[in-house]
Amino acid sequence: MTNVVSSQQAPASLEKFPEKMTVRNLDFFYGDNRALKSVNVPLYANLATAFIGPSGCGKSTLLRVFNRMYDLYPGQRAAGEVLLDGENILDPGLDVNGLRARVGMVFQKPTPFPMSIYENIAFGVRLYEKLGKAEMDERVEKALRGAAIWGEVKDKLQASGLSLSGGQQQRLCIARTVAIQPEVILFDEPCSALDPISTAKVEELIDELRNEYTIAIVTHNMQQAVRVSQYTAFMYLGELVEFGDTDKVFTAPTERRTQDYITGRFG
Amino acid sequence: MAAVQSSRPLAARLQATRKTRSGIIMVLCIVAAALGLIALALILGALLWSGFSSLSPAVFTQMTPPPGSSGGLLNAIFGSLVMTSFGVLLGAPLGLFAGTYMAEYGHGSKLTLVVRFINDILLSAPSIVIGLFVYEIAVVPLGHFSALAGSLALALLVVPVVVRTTEDMLNLVPGPLREAASALGLPRWLVIRFVAYKAARAGLITGLLLAVARVSGETAPLLFTALNNQFWSTDLNKPMASLPVVIFQFAMSPYKEWQQLAWVGALLITLAVLALSITARILGAQRTSQ
Repeated sequence: MTNVVSSQQAPASLEKFPEKMTVRNLDFFYGDNRALKSVNVPLYANLATAFIGPSGCGKSTLLRVFNRMYDLYPGQRAAGEVLLDGENILDPGLDVNGLRARVGMVFQKPTPFPMSIYENIAFGVRLYEKLGKAEMDERVEKALRGAAIWGEVKDKLQASGLSLSGGQQQRLCIARTVAIQPEVILFDEPCSALDPISTAKVEELIDELRNEYTIAIVTHNMQQAVRVSQYTAFMYLGELVEFGDTDKVFTAPTERRTQDYITGRFG
Repeated sequence: MAAVQSSRPLAARLQATRKTRSGIIMVLCIVAAALGLIALALILGALLWSGFSSLSPAVFTQMTPPPGSSGGLLNAIFGSLVMTSFGVLLGAPLGLFAGTYMAEYGHGSKLTLVVRFINDILLSAPSIVIGLFVYEIAVVPLGHFSALAGSLALALLVVPVVVRTTEDMLNLVPGPLREAASALGLPRWLVIRFVAYKAARAGLITGLLLAVARVSGETAPLLFTALNNQFWSTDLNKPMASLPVVIFQFAMSPYKEWQQLAWVGALLITLAVLALSITARILGAQRTSQ
Protein backbone atom coordinates (compact mmCIF):
# COMPACT_ATOMS: atom_id res chain seq x y z
CA MET A 1 0.00 0.00 0.00
CA THR A 2 2.64 2.50 -0.90
CA ASN A 3 2.71 5.02 -3.65
CA VAL A 4 5.81 3.57 -5.26
CA VAL A 5 3.84 2.05 -8.11
CA SER A 6 2.00 5.17 -9.04
CA SER A 7 5.15 7.23 -9.12
CA GLN A 8 6.56 4.94 -11.83
CA GLN A 9 3.83 6.01 -14.17
CA ALA A 10 3.21 9.68 -13.96
CA PRO A 11 -0.53 10.37 -14.33
CA ALA A 12 0.28 13.48 -16.30
CA SER A 13 1.61 11.36 -19.15
CA LEU A 14 -1.77 9.72 -19.55
CA GLU A 15 -3.58 12.92 -20.17
CA LYS A 16 -2.42 13.27 -23.74
CA PHE A 17 -4.77 10.43 -24.73
CA PRO A 18 -8.01 11.78 -26.20
CA GLU A 19 -11.41 10.66 -24.96
CA LYS A 20 -12.67 7.95 -27.30
CA MET A 21 -15.96 7.51 -25.51
CA THR A 22 -17.64 9.76 -22.98
CA VAL A 23 -20.53 8.86 -20.73
CA ARG A 24 -22.61 11.82 -19.55
CA ASN A 25 -25.39 11.65 -16.97
CA LEU A 26 -26.29 8.12 -17.97
CA ASP A 27 -29.31 6.48 -16.37
CA PHE A 28 -30.30 2.93 -17.16
CA PHE A 29 -33.55 1.14 -16.47
CA TYR A 30 -34.56 -2.51 -16.38
CA GLY A 31 -38.28 -1.85 -16.56
CA ASP A 32 -38.84 0.47 -13.60
CA ASN A 33 -35.68 -0.52 -11.83
CA ARG A 34 -33.01 2.17 -12.13
CA ALA A 35 -29.73 0.26 -12.46
CA LEU A 36 -27.43 3.18 -13.33
CA LYS A 37 -27.65 6.58 -11.68
CA SER A 38 -26.20 9.62 -13.45
CA VAL A 39 -22.97 7.92 -14.44
CA ASN A 40 -20.19 10.07 -15.90
CA VAL A 41 -17.02 8.43 -17.13
CA PRO A 42 -14.58 8.72 -20.04
CA LEU A 43 -12.82 5.96 -21.98
CA TYR A 44 -9.44 7.20 -23.16
CA ALA A 45 -8.13 6.08 -26.53
CA ASN A 46 -5.44 3.41 -26.44
CA LEU A 47 -5.84 2.89 -22.73
CA ALA A 48 -7.60 0.20 -20.78
CA THR A 49 -10.27 1.27 -18.33
CA ALA A 50 -11.31 -1.27 -15.70
CA PHE A 51 -14.74 -1.30 -14.11
CA ILE A 52 -14.78 -2.89 -10.68
CA GLY A 53 -17.39 -3.25 -7.96
CA PRO A 54 -19.49 -5.85 -6.19
CA SER A 55 -22.02 -8.00 -8.09
CA GLY A 56 -25.06 -6.05 -9.17
CA CYS A 57 -23.30 -2.66 -9.04
CA GLY A 58 -24.08 -1.99 -12.70
CA LYS A 59 -20.66 -2.45 -14.25
CA SER A 60 -21.80 -5.03 -16.81
CA THR A 61 -24.91 -2.97 -17.46
CA LEU A 62 -22.72 0.03 -18.26
CA LEU A 63 -20.56 -2.05 -20.58
CA ARG A 64 -23.64 -3.25 -22.43
CA VAL A 65 -24.65 0.36 -23.06
CA PHE A 66 -21.39 1.01 -24.93
CA ASN A 67 -22.50 -1.25 -27.81
CA ARG A 68 -26.24 -0.97 -27.12
CA MET A 69 -26.45 -4.68 -26.39
CA TYR A 70 -29.45 -3.91 -24.22
CA ASP A 71 -31.39 -3.10 -27.41
CA LEU A 72 -31.95 -6.83 -27.83
CA TYR A 73 -34.23 -6.85 -24.84
CA PRO A 74 -37.51 -4.99 -24.66
CA GLY A 75 -38.04 -3.15 -21.39
CA GLN A 76 -34.44 -2.03 -21.05
CA ARG A 77 -33.60 1.58 -21.82
CA ALA A 78 -30.91 4.15 -21.31
CA ALA A 79 -31.20 7.91 -20.84
CA GLY A 80 -28.40 10.43 -21.01
CA GLU A 81 -25.50 10.65 -23.44
CA VAL A 82 -22.78 8.26 -24.52
CA LEU A 83 -20.47 9.87 -27.05
CA LEU A 84 -18.28 7.90 -29.45
CA ASP A 85 -15.93 10.35 -31.16
CA GLY A 86 -18.40 13.07 -30.26
CA GLU A 87 -21.48 11.32 -31.66
CA ASN A 88 -24.24 10.27 -29.27
CA ILE A 89 -24.71 6.52 -29.67
CA LEU A 90 -27.96 6.57 -27.70
CA ASP A 91 -29.58 8.46 -30.57
CA PRO A 92 -32.57 6.28 -31.57
CA GLY A 93 -31.82 6.84 -35.25
CA LEU A 94 -28.33 5.41 -34.96
CA ASP A 95 -27.42 2.31 -36.99
CA VAL A 96 -26.89 -0.12 -34.12
CA ASN A 97 -25.20 -2.75 -36.25
CA GLY A 98 -22.76 -0.15 -37.52
CA LEU A 99 -22.06 0.84 -33.92
CA ARG A 100 -21.37 -2.76 -32.97
CA ALA A 101 -18.91 -3.06 -35.82
CA ARG A 102 -16.98 -0.17 -34.24
CA VAL A 103 -17.41 -1.30 -30.65
CA GLY A 104 -16.65 -5.01 -30.31
CA MET A 105 -17.40 -7.16 -27.29
CA VAL A 106 -15.87 -10.24 -25.67
CA PHE A 107 -18.12 -12.13 -23.27
CA GLN A 108 -17.73 -13.83 -19.93
CA LYS A 109 -18.11 -17.32 -21.32
CA PRO A 110 -16.35 -18.17 -24.57
CA THR A 111 -18.97 -18.19 -27.35
CA PRO A 112 -17.45 -19.68 -30.48
CA PHE A 113 -19.99 -20.09 -33.28
CA PRO A 114 -20.86 -23.66 -34.28
CA MET A 115 -18.57 -23.58 -37.31
CA SER A 116 -14.91 -24.07 -38.18
CA ILE A 117 -12.16 -21.99 -36.60
CA TYR A 118 -11.54 -20.30 -39.95
CA GLU A 119 -15.25 -19.56 -40.45
CA ASN A 120 -15.56 -18.17 -36.93
CA ILE A 121 -13.25 -15.35 -38.05
CA ALA A 122 -14.22 -15.04 -41.72
CA PHE A 123 -17.94 -14.98 -40.99
CA GLY A 124 -17.88 -11.55 -39.35
CA VAL A 125 -15.41 -10.09 -41.84
CA ARG A 126 -17.66 -11.04 -44.77
CA LEU A 127 -20.39 -8.84 -43.35
CA TYR A 128 -18.39 -5.72 -43.95
CA GLU A 129 -15.89 -6.49 -46.68
CA LYS A 130 -15.68 -8.47 -49.88
CA LEU A 131 -12.30 -10.14 -49.76
CA GLY A 132 -10.72 -12.66 -52.14
CA LYS A 133 -9.62 -16.04 -50.86
CA ALA A 134 -5.98 -14.96 -50.38
CA GLU A 135 -6.91 -11.71 -48.66
CA MET A 136 -9.34 -13.49 -46.39
CA ASP A 137 -6.71 -16.11 -45.48
CA GLU A 138 -4.40 -13.25 -44.64
CA ARG A 139 -7.00 -11.49 -42.54
CA VAL A 140 -7.85 -14.66 -40.62
CA GLU A 141 -4.18 -15.31 -39.93
CA LYS A 142 -3.62 -11.75 -38.81
CA ALA A 143 -6.59 -11.89 -36.45
CA LEU A 144 -5.52 -15.23 -35.00
CA ARG A 145 -1.95 -13.95 -34.57
CA GLY A 146 -3.32 -10.80 -32.98
CA ALA A 147 -5.15 -12.94 -30.45
CA ALA A 148 -2.04 -15.04 -29.75
CA ILE A 149 -3.65 -18.27 -30.85
CA TRP A 150 -2.30 -18.72 -34.38
CA GLY A 151 0.43 -21.16 -33.33
CA GLU A 152 -2.08 -23.45 -31.66
CA VAL A 153 -4.66 -23.59 -34.44
CA LYS A 154 -2.79 -22.98 -37.71
CA ASP A 155 -2.80 -26.70 -38.58
CA LYS A 156 -6.48 -27.24 -37.85
CA LEU A 157 -8.29 -24.19 -39.18
CA GLN A 158 -11.09 -26.40 -40.51
CA ALA A 159 -11.72 -28.01 -37.12
CA SER A 160 -14.80 -26.91 -35.20
CA GLY A 161 -14.36 -23.89 -32.97
CA LEU A 162 -16.06 -25.91 -30.26
CA SER A 163 -13.21 -28.44 -30.24
CA LEU A 164 -10.82 -25.93 -28.63
CA SER A 165 -10.17 -25.62 -24.92
CA GLY A 166 -11.91 -22.87 -22.94
CA GLY A 167 -8.92 -20.54 -23.00
CA GLN A 168 -8.38 -21.12 -26.71
CA GLN A 169 -12.07 -20.52 -27.39
CA GLN A 170 -11.88 -17.21 -25.57
CA ARG A 171 -8.87 -16.13 -27.62
CA LEU A 172 -10.72 -17.26 -30.76
CA CYS A 173 -13.56 -14.95 -29.72
CA ILE A 174 -11.08 -12.11 -29.25
CA ALA A 175 -9.65 -12.86 -32.71
CA ARG A 176 -13.14 -12.78 -34.15
CA THR A 177 -13.74 -9.38 -32.58
CA VAL A 178 -10.38 -8.01 -33.72
CA ALA A 179 -10.89 -9.29 -37.27
CA ILE A 180 -13.64 -6.83 -38.09
CA GLN A 181 -11.30 -4.01 -37.02
CA PRO A 182 -13.29 -2.25 -34.34
CA GLU A 183 -12.13 0.89 -32.55
CA VAL A 184 -13.20 -0.05 -29.04
CA ILE A 185 -13.20 -3.51 -27.47
CA LEU A 186 -15.36 -4.28 -24.44
CA PHE A 187 -14.41 -7.19 -22.21
CA ASP A 188 -17.10 -8.50 -19.85
CA GLU A 189 -15.22 -10.54 -17.24
CA PRO A 190 -13.29 -12.26 -20.01
CA CYS A 191 -11.27 -14.52 -17.70
CA SER A 192 -13.84 -15.61 -15.15
CA ALA A 193 -14.33 -18.96 -16.89
CA LEU A 194 -10.62 -19.56 -17.54
CA ASP A 195 -7.79 -21.27 -15.68
CA PRO A 196 -4.82 -19.18 -14.44
CA ILE A 197 -2.55 -19.92 -17.42
CA SER A 198 -5.24 -19.00 -19.96
CA THR A 199 -6.04 -15.94 -17.85
CA ALA A 200 -2.42 -14.79 -18.01
CA LYS A 201 -2.43 -15.19 -21.78
CA VAL A 202 -5.64 -13.23 -22.22
CA GLU A 203 -4.41 -10.47 -19.88
CA GLU A 204 -1.17 -10.18 -21.81
CA LEU A 205 -3.22 -9.98 -24.98
CA ILE A 206 -5.44 -7.21 -23.63
CA ASP A 207 -2.33 -5.21 -22.80
CA GLU A 208 -1.06 -5.61 -26.37
CA LEU A 209 -4.42 -4.79 -27.93
CA ARG A 210 -4.29 -1.44 -26.16
CA ASN A 211 -1.81 -0.22 -28.78
CA GLU A 212 -4.49 -0.29 -31.45
CA TYR A 213 -7.79 -0.22 -29.61
CA THR A 214 -9.55 1.47 -26.74
CA ILE A 215 -10.28 -1.09 -24.06
CA ALA A 216 -12.97 -1.31 -21.39
CA ILE A 217 -12.91 -4.31 -19.08
CA VAL A 218 -15.32 -5.39 -16.38
CA THR A 219 -13.69 -7.59 -13.79
CA HIS A 220 -14.32 -9.06 -10.38
CA ASN A 221 -10.68 -9.65 -9.92
CA MET A 222 -8.94 -6.58 -8.49
CA GLN A 223 -5.45 -7.86 -9.22
CA GLN A 224 -6.53 -8.21 -12.81
CA ALA A 225 -7.70 -4.61 -12.88
CA VAL A 226 -4.29 -3.53 -11.56
CA ARG A 227 -2.47 -5.68 -14.11
CA VAL A 228 -4.32 -4.67 -17.27
CA SER A 229 -5.77 -1.22 -16.79
CA GLN A 230 -4.49 2.35 -16.67
CA TYR A 231 -7.73 3.81 -15.40
CA THR A 232 -10.16 2.28 -12.95
CA ALA A 233 -13.78 3.09 -12.23
CA PHE A 234 -15.29 1.81 -9.00
CA MET A 235 -19.04 1.36 -9.08
CA TYR A 236 -21.43 0.67 -6.25
CA LEU A 237 -25.24 0.32 -6.31
CA GLY A 238 -25.52 1.84 -9.78
CA GLU A 239 -23.35 4.84 -9.02
CA LEU A 240 -19.89 5.59 -10.21
CA VAL A 241 -18.14 6.19 -6.92
CA GLU A 242 -14.62 6.86 -8.02
CA PHE A 243 -12.76 7.15 -11.29
CA GLY A 244 -9.06 7.71 -11.70
CA ASP A 245 -5.60 6.46 -12.44
CA THR A 246 -5.58 2.75 -11.57
CA ASP A 247 -2.56 3.05 -9.29
CA LYS A 248 -4.15 5.89 -7.43
CA VAL A 249 -7.53 4.18 -7.04
CA PHE A 250 -5.87 1.12 -5.59
CA THR A 251 -3.29 2.81 -3.41
CA ALA A 252 -4.84 6.10 -2.35
CA PRO A 253 -8.58 6.10 -3.04
CA THR A 254 -10.33 9.33 -2.17
CA GLU A 255 -13.66 7.70 -1.37
CA ARG A 256 -14.31 5.71 1.76
CA ARG A 257 -16.46 3.13 -0.12
CA THR A 258 -13.66 2.48 -2.61
CA GLN A 259 -11.23 1.93 0.21
CA ASP A 260 -13.64 -0.49 1.92
CA TYR A 261 -14.14 -2.45 -1.28
CA ILE A 262 -10.52 -2.82 -2.32
CA THR A 263 -9.50 -3.80 1.18
CA GLY A 264 -12.23 -6.44 1.19
CA ARG A 265 -14.44 -4.95 3.85
CA PHE A 266 -17.53 -5.51 1.73
CA GLY A 267 -18.34 -6.81 -1.71
CA MET B 1 -24.30 -52.70 10.52
CA ALA B 2 -25.63 -54.98 13.23
CA ALA B 3 -24.51 -52.57 15.91
CA VAL B 4 -26.25 -49.68 14.20
CA GLN B 5 -29.48 -51.61 13.82
CA SER B 6 -29.60 -52.77 17.42
CA SER B 7 -28.93 -49.32 18.76
CA ARG B 8 -31.64 -47.77 16.57
CA PRO B 9 -34.52 -50.26 16.35
CA LEU B 10 -37.05 -47.84 14.90
CA ALA B 11 -34.74 -46.83 12.08
CA ALA B 12 -34.06 -50.47 11.31
CA ARG B 13 -37.75 -51.30 11.18
CA LEU B 14 -38.52 -48.34 8.92
CA GLN B 15 -35.64 -49.33 6.70
CA ALA B 16 -37.02 -52.87 6.40
CA THR B 17 -40.51 -51.60 5.50
CA ARG B 18 -39.06 -49.31 2.87
CA LYS B 19 -37.04 -52.14 1.41
CA THR B 20 -40.10 -54.36 1.11
CA ARG B 21 -42.11 -51.57 -0.47
CA SER B 22 -39.31 -50.77 -2.88
CA GLY B 23 -39.12 -54.46 -3.81
CA ILE B 24 -42.85 -54.72 -4.55
CA ILE B 25 -42.89 -51.57 -6.68
CA MET B 26 -39.80 -52.71 -8.53
CA VAL B 27 -41.45 -56.03 -9.42
CA LEU B 28 -44.58 -54.21 -10.63
CA CYS B 29 -42.45 -51.94 -12.80
CA ILE B 30 -40.60 -54.86 -14.32
CA VAL B 31 -43.86 -56.70 -15.05
CA ALA B 32 -45.34 -53.59 -16.71
CA ALA B 33 -42.23 -53.07 -18.81
CA ALA B 34 -42.14 -56.73 -19.77
CA LEU B 35 -45.81 -56.72 -20.82
CA GLY B 36 -45.21 -53.71 -23.05
CA LEU B 37 -42.11 -55.21 -24.56
CA ILE B 38 -43.72 -58.63 -25.12
CA ALA B 39 -46.66 -57.03 -26.94
CA LEU B 40 -44.25 -55.06 -29.10
CA ALA B 41 -42.09 -58.11 -29.78
CA LEU B 42 -45.11 -60.20 -30.77
CA ILE B 43 -46.36 -57.52 -33.16
CA LEU B 44 -42.93 -57.04 -34.71
CA GLY B 45 -42.37 -60.81 -34.84
CA ALA B 46 -45.64 -61.45 -36.66
CA LEU B 47 -44.92 -58.54 -38.97
CA LEU B 48 -41.42 -59.71 -39.83
CA TRP B 49 -42.51 -63.34 -40.20
CA SER B 50 -45.47 -62.69 -42.47
CA GLY B 51 -43.96 -59.70 -44.23
CA PHE B 52 -40.63 -61.22 -45.18
CA SER B 53 -42.18 -64.48 -46.32
CA SER B 54 -44.23 -62.61 -48.92
CA LEU B 55 -41.57 -60.13 -49.92
CA SER B 56 -40.59 -60.54 -53.56
CA PRO B 57 -39.26 -58.37 -56.40
CA ALA B 58 -42.79 -58.22 -57.78
CA VAL B 59 -43.76 -56.04 -54.82
CA PHE B 60 -41.57 -53.25 -56.21
CA THR B 61 -42.35 -53.76 -59.90
CA GLN B 62 -46.07 -54.53 -60.17
CA MET B 63 -49.23 -52.59 -59.41
CA THR B 64 -51.79 -53.53 -56.78
CA PRO B 65 -53.72 -56.49 -58.21
CA PRO B 66 -57.44 -57.06 -58.57
CA PRO B 67 -58.83 -59.63 -56.15
CA GLY B 68 -57.68 -63.17 -56.74
CA SER B 69 -54.55 -62.44 -58.77
CA SER B 70 -50.96 -61.66 -57.82
CA GLY B 71 -49.33 -58.25 -58.02
CA GLY B 72 -47.19 -55.74 -56.15
CA LEU B 73 -47.32 -52.43 -54.33
CA LEU B 74 -45.45 -50.16 -56.74
CA ASN B 75 -48.25 -47.61 -57.15
CA ALA B 76 -48.84 -47.52 -53.38
CA ILE B 77 -45.14 -47.10 -52.57
CA PHE B 78 -44.85 -44.34 -55.15
CA GLY B 79 -48.02 -42.68 -53.86
CA SER B 80 -46.78 -42.73 -50.29
CA LEU B 81 -43.42 -41.25 -51.30
CA VAL B 82 -45.06 -38.51 -53.38
CA MET B 83 -47.69 -37.49 -50.84
CA THR B 84 -45.32 -37.65 -47.89
CA SER B 85 -42.75 -35.55 -49.79
CA PHE B 86 -45.30 -32.94 -50.82
CA GLY B 87 -46.79 -32.94 -47.36
CA VAL B 88 -43.39 -32.25 -45.82
CA LEU B 89 -42.50 -29.68 -48.50
CA LEU B 90 -45.72 -27.82 -47.72
CA GLY B 91 -45.76 -28.24 -43.96
CA ALA B 92 -42.12 -28.07 -42.90
CA PRO B 93 -41.34 -24.49 -44.04
CA LEU B 94 -44.53 -23.24 -42.43
CA GLY B 95 -43.67 -25.01 -39.18
CA LEU B 96 -40.07 -23.80 -39.32
CA PHE B 97 -41.10 -20.18 -39.78
CA ALA B 98 -43.77 -20.34 -37.09
CA GLY B 99 -41.36 -21.98 -34.64
CA THR B 100 -38.71 -19.38 -35.47
CA TYR B 101 -41.16 -16.58 -34.79
CA MET B 102 -42.11 -18.09 -31.45
CA ALA B 103 -38.55 -18.66 -30.26
CA GLU B 104 -36.77 -15.65 -31.75
CA TYR B 105 -39.14 -12.75 -32.31
CA GLY B 106 -42.17 -13.38 -30.16
CA HIS B 107 -40.44 -15.04 -27.24
CA GLY B 108 -42.79 -14.78 -24.27
CA SER B 109 -45.36 -12.66 -26.13
CA LYS B 110 -49.10 -13.21 -25.97
CA LEU B 111 -49.29 -14.27 -29.61
CA THR B 112 -46.66 -16.93 -28.96
CA LEU B 113 -48.62 -18.28 -26.03
CA VAL B 114 -51.78 -18.49 -28.11
CA VAL B 115 -50.02 -20.10 -31.07
CA ARG B 116 -48.30 -22.62 -28.80
CA PHE B 117 -51.61 -23.53 -27.16
CA ILE B 118 -53.37 -24.03 -30.49
CA ASN B 119 -50.38 -25.89 -31.85
CA ASP B 120 -50.48 -28.31 -28.92
CA ILE B 121 -54.14 -29.00 -29.63
CA LEU B 122 -53.32 -29.60 -33.28
CA LEU B 123 -50.47 -31.87 -32.24
CA SER B 124 -52.80 -34.19 -30.39
CA ALA B 125 -55.83 -33.83 -32.68
CA PRO B 126 -57.01 -37.17 -34.08
CA SER B 127 -55.76 -37.38 -37.65
CA ILE B 128 -59.20 -38.40 -38.90
CA VAL B 129 -60.40 -34.92 -37.93
CA ILE B 130 -57.69 -33.41 -40.10
CA GLY B 131 -58.79 -35.73 -42.88
CA LEU B 132 -62.40 -34.59 -42.61
CA PHE B 133 -61.33 -30.96 -42.52
CA VAL B 134 -59.33 -31.27 -45.73
CA TYR B 135 -62.20 -33.26 -47.25
CA GLU B 136 -64.44 -30.27 -46.65
CA ILE B 137 -62.04 -27.65 -47.98
CA ALA B 138 -60.24 -29.47 -50.79
CA VAL B 139 -62.31 -32.46 -51.88
CA VAL B 140 -65.92 -31.28 -51.75
CA PRO B 141 -65.35 -27.96 -53.62
CA LEU B 142 -63.36 -29.70 -56.38
CA GLY B 143 -65.79 -32.58 -56.55
CA HIS B 144 -63.14 -35.34 -56.54
CA PHE B 145 -60.47 -36.96 -54.42
CA SER B 146 -56.88 -36.05 -55.24
CA ALA B 147 -53.27 -36.65 -54.25
CA LEU B 148 -52.99 -32.93 -53.67
CA ALA B 149 -55.69 -33.05 -51.00
CA GLY B 150 -53.85 -36.01 -49.46
CA SER B 151 -50.60 -34.01 -49.36
CA LEU B 152 -52.45 -31.10 -47.79
CA ALA B 153 -53.81 -33.34 -45.03
CA LEU B 154 -50.34 -34.73 -44.33
CA ALA B 155 -48.91 -31.19 -44.35
CA LEU B 156 -51.36 -30.21 -41.62
CA LEU B 157 -50.02 -33.09 -39.55
CA VAL B 158 -46.41 -32.08 -40.22
CA VAL B 159 -46.86 -28.44 -39.17
CA PRO B 160 -47.46 -28.88 -35.42
CA VAL B 161 -44.59 -31.35 -35.02
CA VAL B 162 -42.14 -29.05 -36.76
CA VAL B 163 -43.41 -25.96 -34.93
CA ARG B 164 -42.86 -27.69 -31.61
CA THR B 165 -39.38 -29.01 -32.29
CA THR B 166 -38.24 -25.80 -33.97
CA GLU B 167 -39.31 -23.69 -31.01
CA ASP B 168 -37.83 -26.11 -28.48
CA MET B 169 -34.53 -26.46 -30.32
CA LEU B 170 -34.10 -22.72 -30.87
CA ASN B 171 -34.86 -22.09 -27.21
CA LEU B 172 -31.99 -24.43 -26.37
CA VAL B 173 -29.53 -22.23 -28.28
CA PRO B 174 -27.73 -20.28 -25.54
CA GLY B 175 -28.60 -16.58 -25.35
CA PRO B 176 -24.93 -15.53 -25.13
CA LEU B 177 -24.34 -17.08 -28.55
CA ARG B 178 -26.97 -14.79 -30.05
CA GLU B 179 -25.52 -11.84 -28.15
CA ALA B 180 -22.05 -12.69 -29.42
CA ALA B 181 -23.33 -12.70 -32.98
CA SER B 182 -25.19 -9.42 -32.45
CA ALA B 183 -22.04 -7.94 -30.93
CA LEU B 184 -20.31 -8.42 -34.30
CA GLY B 185 -22.97 -6.19 -35.80
CA LEU B 186 -25.10 -8.92 -37.36
CA PRO B 187 -28.71 -7.95 -37.99
CA ARG B 188 -31.30 -10.17 -36.33
CA TRP B 189 -32.19 -12.26 -39.35
CA LEU B 190 -28.56 -13.11 -40.02
CA VAL B 191 -28.06 -14.08 -36.39
CA ILE B 192 -30.97 -16.49 -36.72
CA ARG B 193 -29.96 -17.83 -40.11
CA PHE B 194 -26.26 -18.32 -39.58
CA VAL B 195 -25.88 -18.81 -35.85
CA ALA B 196 -29.13 -20.00 -34.25
CA TYR B 197 -30.11 -22.39 -37.07
CA LYS B 198 -26.56 -23.71 -37.24
CA ALA B 199 -26.41 -24.34 -33.53
CA ALA B 200 -29.81 -26.03 -33.57
CA ARG B 201 -29.32 -27.86 -36.88
CA ALA B 202 -29.20 -31.43 -35.56
CA GLY B 203 -32.34 -30.87 -33.50
CA LEU B 204 -34.21 -29.25 -36.39
CA ILE B 205 -33.41 -32.15 -38.71
CA THR B 206 -34.41 -34.62 -36.01
CA GLY B 207 -37.78 -32.89 -35.68
CA LEU B 208 -38.29 -33.03 -39.43
CA LEU B 209 -37.48 -36.75 -39.55
CA LEU B 210 -39.88 -37.45 -36.70
CA ALA B 211 -42.57 -35.53 -38.56
CA VAL B 212 -41.95 -37.65 -41.67
CA ALA B 213 -42.08 -40.79 -39.55
CA ARG B 214 -45.34 -39.66 -38.04
CA VAL B 215 -47.16 -38.93 -41.31
CA SER B 216 -45.81 -41.85 -43.33
CA GLY B 217 -48.05 -44.24 -41.42
CA GLU B 218 -51.20 -42.12 -41.43
CA THR B 219 -54.28 -43.76 -42.96
CA ALA B 220 -57.30 -41.81 -41.82
CA PRO B 221 -56.44 -38.43 -43.37
CA LEU B 222 -55.67 -40.10 -46.70
CA LEU B 223 -58.91 -42.11 -46.77
CA PHE B 224 -60.89 -38.89 -47.00
CA THR B 225 -58.58 -37.06 -49.36
CA ALA B 226 -56.43 -39.12 -51.73
CA LEU B 227 -58.67 -42.19 -51.43
CA ASN B 228 -56.97 -44.98 -53.36
CA ASN B 229 -56.08 -45.90 -56.90
CA GLN B 230 -55.59 -49.38 -58.21
CA PHE B 231 -53.55 -48.17 -61.14
CA TRP B 232 -50.33 -46.31 -61.75
CA SER B 233 -51.01 -42.60 -61.52
CA THR B 234 -48.68 -39.62 -61.27
CA ASP B 235 -51.43 -37.04 -61.59
CA LEU B 236 -51.64 -35.01 -58.39
CA ASN B 237 -55.17 -33.99 -59.31
CA LYS B 238 -56.40 -37.59 -59.31
CA PRO B 239 -56.86 -40.13 -56.53
CA MET B 240 -53.60 -41.81 -55.60
CA ALA B 241 -52.75 -45.06 -53.83
CA SER B 242 -50.71 -45.06 -50.64
CA LEU B 243 -49.30 -47.82 -48.47
CA PRO B 244 -51.43 -47.20 -45.37
CA VAL B 245 -54.70 -47.06 -47.30
CA VAL B 246 -53.79 -50.13 -49.36
CA ILE B 247 -52.91 -51.99 -46.15
CA PHE B 248 -56.25 -50.92 -44.68
CA GLN B 249 -58.15 -52.13 -47.72
CA PHE B 250 -56.20 -55.34 -48.33
CA ALA B 251 -55.95 -56.48 -44.73
CA MET B 252 -59.73 -56.29 -44.30
CA SER B 253 -60.36 -58.27 -47.51
CA PRO B 254 -61.06 -62.00 -47.65
CA TYR B 255 -58.48 -62.55 -50.42
CA LYS B 256 -55.26 -64.36 -49.55
CA GLU B 257 -53.07 -62.44 -52.05
CA TRP B 258 -54.31 -59.09 -50.76
CA GLN B 259 -53.68 -60.06 -47.16
CA GLN B 260 -50.13 -61.11 -48.04
CA LEU B 261 -49.49 -57.75 -49.72
CA ALA B 262 -50.89 -55.95 -46.68
CA TRP B 263 -48.28 -57.67 -44.52
CA VAL B 264 -45.52 -56.63 -46.92
CA GLY B 265 -46.79 -53.05 -46.95
CA ALA B 266 -46.84 -52.93 -43.17
CA LEU B 267 -43.30 -54.28 -43.09
CA LEU B 268 -42.09 -51.64 -45.56
CA ILE B 269 -43.62 -48.77 -43.57
CA THR B 270 -42.22 -50.14 -40.32
CA LEU B 271 -38.73 -50.46 -41.78
CA ALA B 272 -38.89 -46.92 -43.22
CA VAL B 273 -40.02 -45.45 -39.90
CA LEU B 274 -37.36 -47.46 -38.07
CA ALA B 275 -34.67 -46.09 -40.41
CA LEU B 276 -35.93 -42.52 -39.84
CA SER B 277 -36.04 -42.96 -36.07
CA ILE B 278 -32.51 -44.37 -35.96
CA THR B 279 -31.24 -41.49 -38.06
CA ALA B 280 -33.03 -39.05 -35.77
CA ARG B 281 -31.48 -40.75 -32.73
CA ILE B 282 -27.98 -40.60 -34.17
CA LEU B 283 -28.37 -36.91 -34.99
CA GLY B 284 -29.75 -36.30 -31.50
CA ALA B 285 -26.76 -38.05 -29.95
CA GLN B 286 -24.42 -35.89 -32.00
CA ARG B 287 -26.15 -32.82 -30.65
CA THR B 288 -25.73 -33.82 -27.03
CA SER B 289 -22.08 -34.78 -27.52
CA GLN B 290 -21.37 -31.27 -28.78
